[in-house]
Amino acid sequence: MAWIGLVPFFAFLTLFLFIPAFSVFSEALRGANGKFTLDSLREGISGQNLEAFKFSIKFSAGAAFVGVVFGTLLAYAAVITKRPKWLRSLITSFSGVAANMGGLTLAFAFVSLLGRQGVLTKILAALGWDLYSGNFGLGEIPGLITVYSYFNIPLMVLVTIPAIDGLRTSWREACANLGGTTWTYWRRIGLPVLAPSIMGGFLLLFTNSFSAFATARVLTDNSKIVPLRIGFFLGGDLSVGEDSIGYSLAAWMIIVMAVCMWLYWILRRRAEKWQS
Amino acid sequence: MRNLLGKSGPKIVILVTSVFFLLPLLAMTRFAFQNVGVFDLSWSKAFDKWTFDIVSKPFEDQYFTDSLYLSFKIAIGTAALTLGLLIPTAIWVHLRVPKARVLIEFMTVLPYVIPAIALVAGIVVIKPHARWFLNSDLSLIPFYTVLALPFTYRAIDSGLRALELRTLVDASRNLGAGWIRTMLKVIVPNLRSAIISATFLTVAVALGEFTIANVLLKRTFPPFINEYRMREPRAGYALAVLSLLFTIFIFGLLSVALRSPSAKSHQNSTKSREMS
Repeated sequence: MAWIGLVPFFAFLTLFLFIPAFSVFSEALRGANGKFTLDSLREGISGQNLEAFKFSIKFSAGAAFVGVVFGTLLAYAAVITKRPKWLRSLITSFSGVAANMGGLTLAFAFVSLLGRQGVLTKILAALGWDLYSGNFGLGEIPGLITVYSYFNIPLMVLVTIPAIDGLRTSWREACANLGGTTWTYWRRIGLPVLAPSIMGGFLLLFTNSFSAFATARVLTDNSKIVPLRIGFFLGGDLSVGEDSIGYSLAAWMIIVMAVCMWLYWILRRRAEKWQS
Repeated sequence: MRNLLGKSGPKIVILVTSVFFLLPLLAMTRFAFQNVGVFDLSWSKAFDKWTFDIVSKPFEDQYFTDSLYLSFKIAIGTAALTLGLLIPTAIWVHLRVPKARVLIEFMTVLPYVIPAIALVAGIVVIKPHARWFLNSDLSLIPFYTVLALPFTYRAIDSGLRALELRTLVDASRNLGAGWIRTMLKVIVPNLRSAIISATFLTVAVALGEFTIANVLLKRTFPPFINEYRMREPRAGYALAVLSLLFTIFIFGLLSVALRSPSAKSHQNSTKSREMS
């Protein structure tokens, strides 16, 4: 009886989340004749679609790696810098804004900085370094990593600050008393305690980069980016049967996200052990 | 024992990241508000011809006010639906079915697994069967509620955790108040800061959402900016700067609104714990 109060919530989720998600799979699993088939799912990860997944996984992993390294460094710097006092709260509040800033504004900002007519592009060109002489582009891997770092680094700061706060001074003292150096402390205590948070952060940033649509849409028309590819299939005038590939890509995307979030869930449980 | 980054390490990390975070914003601001060719980069001209006249330009466009109005309507609707759905559900979970807590928490992070681009693929599938609903621009409201769920549920849930909910409800019921009165007069005022932060988060999500609106061809504000900046680059970028300032303003307001009362309520709760 007690569960009856949850009916509105579950009804809402069913209508606006489960049914759409389920429809993606049912559409991806249906052939042109309406019968069940795995053909489109198979096609979703072959040929150009496979290339798109490889490309997206590559830049998302790169963006996640850069975000983890700089995010952790920045979080650590924010925690150990005691003065000025407002610095830490400035860093966390700014991170709160920037982590949510993905989308149009961010893309506009980077186009005006590093686009073909961007300010920095021009300054570098004046100094003799032509960025666009090679295959640099905001829609290629180095460009995407740079832009996505703008929301990935702050997100990493937000998720690792509590973990770094959880490192107790007494552990450090205990290590020093037992003759350990800074290096021993980090190798034997600091990093192992932080490891689940850092790995969890990597997964979070990876899913964040992999699923971003708005930023990528403004930066580029590169159809090797999976969310853009899905968008093209959904919006385009396609011959009958071809649109099922869009759903198949979306289904694979949900599968990738589900695996990452499942791992993240496990890691977070482990990370929280030290944060009470 | 020394810290990992040495003496000046943290300062360098903070400095380098601030440059990275400021440059794109500066470039975008300059592009929007300085009326010079992109090539004029010499220092002597760096402060010439700054003008804010461009801000009035979008008002000449009829779609500007329409799309802004629509986005605000959707944002208010999303906030209302979020609060109306989540507060009763979260209270019910806390009082009646604590067992369901993990399940509900799991449900609320599902939007990470089914990102906007996959959700909208599902919406496109069901569209032929629900045109009467999806043709309305306001049909975006429930989907934006879903997208904001991971943030909003957590805000309300942690607000409830900080309360002595059972005691409050029992006291109110013993004094003769019905359920509705208990909720509106006792629980909601105590949840003030959680409600404020959930509202701001929803508004930020609803005002900035691009993916779903873009694919479903709804003329909300973000798709408008994107289309507008192709016609009027400078004015489009100026709008982006303004909307960024608005977001920062919202988050600033949020941190001010939350700081004083939550600090007070924290003191109160520790005090009451000492007394009991």
